[in-house]
Amino acid sequence: MVAQATQSMNYDRILEEELLPQAEALLTFAYHLTYNQQDAEDLVQETYMKAYKAIDKYIEGTNAKAWLFKILKNTFINDYRRKSRGPAMKELDEVIAYQNRENTPYISAHAGLAEETYESAMGDEVTMAINKLSMNFREVLLLSDVEDFSYEEISKILDIPIGTVRSRLNRARNAVKEDLQLYAQSMGFKDNR
Amino acid sequence: MVKSPITNDEFIKKVGLFLDNELSDKESRDLLREIQTNPAFMHILKEEQTFREFIKTKIDRRKPSPALIASIKDKIKASSPI
Repeated sequence: MVAQATQSMNYDRILEEELLPQAEALLTFAYHLTYNQQDAEDLVQETYMKAYKAIDKYIEGTNAKAWLFKILKNTFINDYRRKSRGPAMKELDEVIAYQNRENTPYISAHAGLAEETYESAMGDEVTMAINKLSMNFREVLLLSDVEDFSYEEISKILDIPIGTVRSRLNRARNAVKEDLQLYAQSMGFKDNR
Repeated sequence: MVKSPITNDEFIKKVGLFLDNELSDKESRDLLREIQTNPAFMHILKEEQTFREFIKTKIDRRKPSPALIASIKDKIKASSPI
């Protein structure tokens, strides 16, 4: 009984010190998966419930953030995606359409993506550009460029090969650049190079 | 055998990997040498850095409310056997 109580206190400490500090990152990721604050909060709560139930499998001091993101992603796939209020139903078509664009060239630095382009774009445009990406591309961009996960960590979180992480990331970044470039042009910015 | 010069597209791919910390030490050193020999490459590197920085700083981040954190703790406590 004493041992059980001690173990429980240890789990609570891990929750406080290692798991809960990741709540903002999880909520941000969940929000960009679900497009909805309430769904995102529900998803994060469910993630923590599942993490705590499996906390005996977590090795203290290892990568709590990657562990929680994997649980969140799996929870999203299993429980939330079906009832998502976002454009999940369009996902497959979007992915097929995007992947059919074989040999998508990398957006060159000389294609008009100057620093001023980014400065002219406000935060909303960045978020909108990211939200326009299909799920497969959005999630790698968020995990890499927003949360700083390595390719290997992303590969494990999403259960996809590292080569796929790399190619999706390139395409996602190109799509966001294209979108921001179009926005900048619509705002009257011209590339003079 | 003379090594063929790196193209812009190849360079951008490498810069992406470099900024993602996915290049080996040798590959990173080679890339930095390429940058030193070509000012246009430095420009590309700076643009990629700006783009990454922009995504990170402008993304709509969500701060969990104290109520959400309290709710998580309450639910865990309620489901805990002790």
